[in-house]
Amino acid sequence: MASIALKSFIGLRQTTSENKSIVLSKPTTQTHRNFRINASKSSPRVTGRNLRVAVVGGGPAGGAAAETLAKGGVETFLFERKLDNCKPCGGAIPLCMVGEFDLPLDIIDRRVTKMKMISPSNVAVDIGRTLKPHEYIGMVRREVLDAYLRDRATTAGATVINGLFLKMDLPKSTGSPYVLHYSDYNTKTGGAGEKKTVEVDAVIGADGANSRVAKNINAGEYEYAIAFQERIKISDDKMKYYEDLAEMYVGDDVSPDFYGWVFPKCDHVAVGTGTVTHKGDIKKLQIATRLRARDKIEGGTIIRVEAHPIPEHPRPRRVLDRVALVGDAAGYVTKCSGEGIYFAAKSGRMCAEAIVEGSENGKRMVDESDLRKYLEKWDKTYWPTYKVLDVLQKVFYRSNPAREAFVEMCADEYVQKMTFDSYLYKKVVPGNPLDDLKLAVNTIGSLVRANALRKEMEKLSV
Amino acid sequence: MAMALLSAAPPNHLPNITLTQSTAKHCAILKPYFSFRLKKQPLKYQCLASTSTRAISDHEYGVGSDGSPLPAAVDPETKFQDLKWVGGTWDLNQFLKNGKTDWDDVIDAEVKRRKWLEDNPQSSSNEDPVVFNTSIIPWWAWMKRFHLPEAELLNGRAAMIGFLMTYVVDSLTGVGLVDQMSNLFCKTLLFVAVAGTLLIRKNEDIETLKKLLEETTFYDKQWQATWQDETSSSSKLN
Repeated sequence: MASIALKSFIGLRQTTSENKSIVLSKPTTQTHRNFRINASKSSPRVTGRNLRVAVVGGGPAGGAAAETLAKGGVETFLFERKLDNCKPCGGAIPLCMVGEFDLPLDIIDRRVTKMKMISPSNVAVDIGRTLKPHEYIGMVRREVLDAYLRDRATTAGATVINGLFLKMDLPKSTGSPYVLHYSDYNTKTGGAGEKKTVEVDAVIGADGANSRVAKNINAGEYEYAIAFQERIKISDDKMKYYEDLAEMYVGDDVSPDFYGWVFPKCDHVAVGTGTVTHKGDIKKLQIATRLRARDKIEGGTIIRVEAHPIPEHPRPRRVLDRVALVGDAAGYVTKCSGEGIYFAAKSGRMCAEAIVEGSENGKRMVDESDLRKYLEKWDKTYWPTYKVLDVLQKVFYRSNPAREAFVEMCADEYVQKMTFDSYLYKKVVPGNPLDDLKLAVNTIGSLVRANALRKEMEKLSV
Repeated sequence: MAMALLSAAPPNHLPNITLTQSTAKHCAILKPYFSFRLKKQPLKYQCLASTSTRAISDHEYGVGSDGSPLPAAVDPETKFQDLKWVGGTWDLNQFLKNGKTDWDDVIDAEVKRRKWLEDNPQSSSNEDPVVFNTSIIPWWAWMKRFHLPEAELLNGRAAMIGFLMTYVVDSLTGVGLVDQMSNLFCKTLLFVAVAGTLLIRKNEDIETLKKLLEETTFYDKQWQATWQDETSSSSKLN
């Protein structure tokens, strides 16, 4: 402890002459909370080594974070318990992810350029007419994408550890390391793995919806949806229909608060549904989804059944001291569409960038304020997207009439253009105000009509 | 020939995979019957799903243990049938009355169709897609049928409340109707009365409105939660 304090004094003398910051005559352990913005500059230098950061979880978030950290000169440890894990997932990535993360095109199994929305009364609307030839939604296999990002991280200098994160000891004082306990599967002891520990200065929790890192820092709980899907192999001629088309089924029978889908995968389709409020009925909902798609998947074989949780909103606490959560662990899944891969990778990268910047390429210790900078940037950049999707979900997934109106609205070309633009490029761009007004009027009209029909329907049943 | 292999079969014939897992576990990653062993090729990512399906052909969904197709719980042949429903939409020519389209009949027909479909969800098919759009019914037909009766009701309520309140205020303060209208307080009362009549039409509406208000800000609160944490932790010195 004394040696660390001594080292920090030495660092102080140099920094005050360099940065002309306010003279800190006391050790930084006390005062860095008062000068939050300049804290990293007055953080003690990490001498003799680079900053060590552990990234727990080797999915898109972990892989992207580890690559950015390693490139920034930080000593990175990436923990992944199952290197060939086929995470059950919708598998859709927006166009901007391919560019932003330099993904090779052979990772993408399919390019979806058409979508079909099907209302509770089977009104079917085709959307995708407004897409330009180079625009598409990429369908990937998670095992392929995750492995690619991890390999890139390894090439950049990160150490991938095949092990299961067990728990972590929080530091007893500022500047002490975090001690991570894990089961190493690389050793010759076979099945159970060898218990090991590693000391790091900061931790990024990228271990998904049931994050253990989140538990360790008491990040709090969130509501989550269950997504249940069956992979079905259908005949080639039926598969041709789904070559570049995905379907979305809405209705109370399919899901009371989400949607059912048929997504094309490499050589089969994934038929699934999800719900937050009626998790116990998920099997019934799945049967209803299969029924709605029956004509198109008839004769198919179920080759796999899988389910996974989808967070509905961020955890109450996403950063504590030098631990930050990213991706599903933080709860960065959008409402309405349930999209998470892009946001996981982006948040991993953003958090890593904040650490690299705060530590000046691994030379200084980071602290909570550096990680909060990542939170600030994230909230500012993506808050509009999340909010808009939340409003859409609240308005259009409420009830059958709302869903009918939703599908009716999707027939409008302006809606299609706005939807795809915001989905593919992740930017909420306000369009032409006159068109927006027309859209608002049409939306209200659709909703009013559908609700009026619903009132008549209720009269029928009484 | 509708083999109905994927019709809604009774649960006990679902693949064994699902039965052994307890759905109580919220993160039910149901283990596949086999594992996907993906051989990564250097340049091309080949999908090997096809090689694994042969192993479980006897678990083909909808086929019983003796190989015969299962009886469908829902008769797959029933589709929404109606003489006036042609080509996935209502044939307006069949709704003529005195030479003009009877929009009320169209609305009634669509209501019946939606009700039927809600009670008996049907598969959507590419061969006969549904292309009906409610906007083919002109706006004045909707107004006449739905808006006007309710508008009459609400205006009636507002008028009754207005008359009563005018009388009460007049008897209490002596201010007549014309003088009330030039007073700001009375104008505010009038506004509240009209808004109340519009928003609160049933007893349940009060609760609904309160919930709606909370709903609009709930998501924001969930996102802000991590920032509440910051102010409390910065007060500690550690």
